[in-house]
Amino acid sequence: MITQTAPITPRASAPSSPVHQRRRRKPSLHRTLSRVLIMLIVIVQVYPLAWLFLTSLRTEHDFATGDPFALPSSLTWENYARAFETGDLGRNILNSFIVTMGANILIVLFGMMAAYAIQVLGFRLSRFVRALFLIGIIVPVQIALVPLFIDYSAVNLLDTYQSMIIPLAGFALPMSIYLFSSFFEYIPRETYEAASLDGAGPYRIFGLITLPLSLNTVVTVVLVNSIFIWNDFIFANSFVLSEDLKTIPLGLQNYIGAMGKVDWTATFAAVCVTITPLLLVFLVLNKAMIQGLESGATKG
Amino acid sequence: MLPNRSRTSVLVFLLPPLLLYCAAVLFPILQSLFLSFFSWNGISEMEFVGLANYVRMLTADDIFWRSFFNALLYLAICLVLQLGGALVVASLLTSLRRGRELIKTLYLLPAVISTVAIAFLFIRIYSIDPVGLLNQLLHWVGLGSLERAWLSDVNTVLAAVSAPEGWRFTGLYMLIIYAALIAVPKELEEAAVLDGASKWTLFTKIRFPYIRPVWITTTIMATTYGLRGFDIPYLMTNGGPGQSSELLTTYMYKTAFTSTDFGYASTISVFIVIECLVAVGLILFMLKRKADS
Repeated sequence: MITQTAPITPRASAPSSPVHQRRRRKPSLHRTLSRVLIMLIVIVQVYPLAWLFLTSLRTEHDFATGDPFALPSSLTWENYARAFETGDLGRNILNSFIVTMGANILIVLFGMMAAYAIQVLGFRLSRFVRALFLIGIIVPVQIALVPLFIDYSAVNLLDTYQSMIIPLAGFALPMSIYLFSSFFEYIPRETYEAASLDGAGPYRIFGLITLPLSLNTVVTVVLVNSIFIWNDFIFANSFVLSEDLKTIPLGLQNYIGAMGKVDWTATFAAVCVTITPLLLVFLVLNKAMIQGLESGATKG
Repeated sequence: MLPNRSRTSVLVFLLPPLLLYCAAVLFPILQSLFLSFFSWNGISEMEFVGLANYVRMLTADDIFWRSFFNALLYLAICLVLQLGGALVVASLLTSLRRGRELIKTLYLLPAVISTVAIAFLFIRIYSIDPVGLLNQLLHWVGLGSLERAWLSDVNTVLAAVSAPEGWRFTGLYMLIIYAALIAVPKELEEAAVLDGASKWTLFTKIRFPYIRPVWITTTIMATTYGLRGFDIPYLMTNGGPGQSSELLTTYMYKTAFTSTDFGYASTISVFIVIECLVAVGLILFMLKRKADS
């Protein structure tokens, strides 16, 4: 490995004269500068979230009169109690789980199957089918709202879990297929040929070779999609009306609508409750998630 | 191709995903295109009107044009915050020795938060009574004269609803750009430094050209996401006050679900799709021309 002798901060003009002489002083100055700058940026980026949590622990009085930057004069969990009492947050979280699970199962299974058909089995029109799936990456989801609303009401699917799961899975499918097929490219042909010689058909090969080998990609696909599905607002808002089916974003929206101007601090607590599950998952799995987001994005 | 695959096996694997995809994506696109030539409120008889919806949209609808220009400004603000911010932070990050993983994680945090929560958070940040973070900050640094209700002021509301979207995803683009910067071969950089290249030259002549493909991808991603931005403006102001923060997407949504004018709403959504395709085409075209010259 080459040690980092070259200062590589892009900003700031640098010496064009003897390098090694300046190398010792300059980099440290640059490094301090960039360290300070990056700290500032990170603080600006993260402070609003910290503020959200701090405010959820304030008393109502403290919030209404105090300086928003000040630390709470006393901490209280009562806001959380009130949030759970008024809202149906438990129910909302359960619904979000159901929708996220349902959509993820479809995305993973169908994504894997389609990629297997296109990449491994191969067929005459496979290029065309691949291109067809690409459309879903570019096209904005809004175009599907009106048609789906009309179609759902024709077949009585409005106000169901499926009404959210179908478009969420459908629009995520292209990326999933893409990730799986680029992984399948790396499984050597010989593996398949050997299995074929042993008499395994396409179904057994899928079950015994392709599926077990792609577990890493499954994790990537699930992690990346879960963020977007868990937080989906637009499909849920368009297709779901009954309280029993509302997912977290909708439940929270309801709560804010009802209590946002009445009980400030409890609303902060409710917001915190709804963002905590995913934040925890993210903090625990952040390595895998970051990797997933990187590969999902750069390959797509 | 597998030796003992059969036509049935291809169909078994391909049909279920293709059906789901058609039902959720392809068929609705065609249906929107179809509906855009009709006038229909969902209840009465559908009436074929030919291009009338398109003519109305392009020539007689002031709100449409207002929303279109608002959406462009919204996009511009998002792009500067997301891509500009991402590039600066990613570059700074490469010069750090420790704590890179921690900063990546922290910087990405907003991306896992729902838009509803973000909208609420920023409404409170912009608030004037009780005083929110922004107004308090302005007060402290002596810019008290700038204090205002950011979301009720027609001059600031559009910028105010754009910033949260930029804040939310800048971490994602930073990750991607950072991964690309890390992959720039160290030998190239060292050689350039030995040749006396300044850091700015190093950046413009070595690093940036090297990450160009990734930059194109992120630009396309950020642009298409920016053009379809909906949740945050819808939740924060619902396009108001007046139409000052109306985007094409929020206008389309209201046309469809408040005025139940399904035909005209479909016309607008067809326009949004075309806009996305044109934007992607333009980006590729401009970058190609720049690369050629």
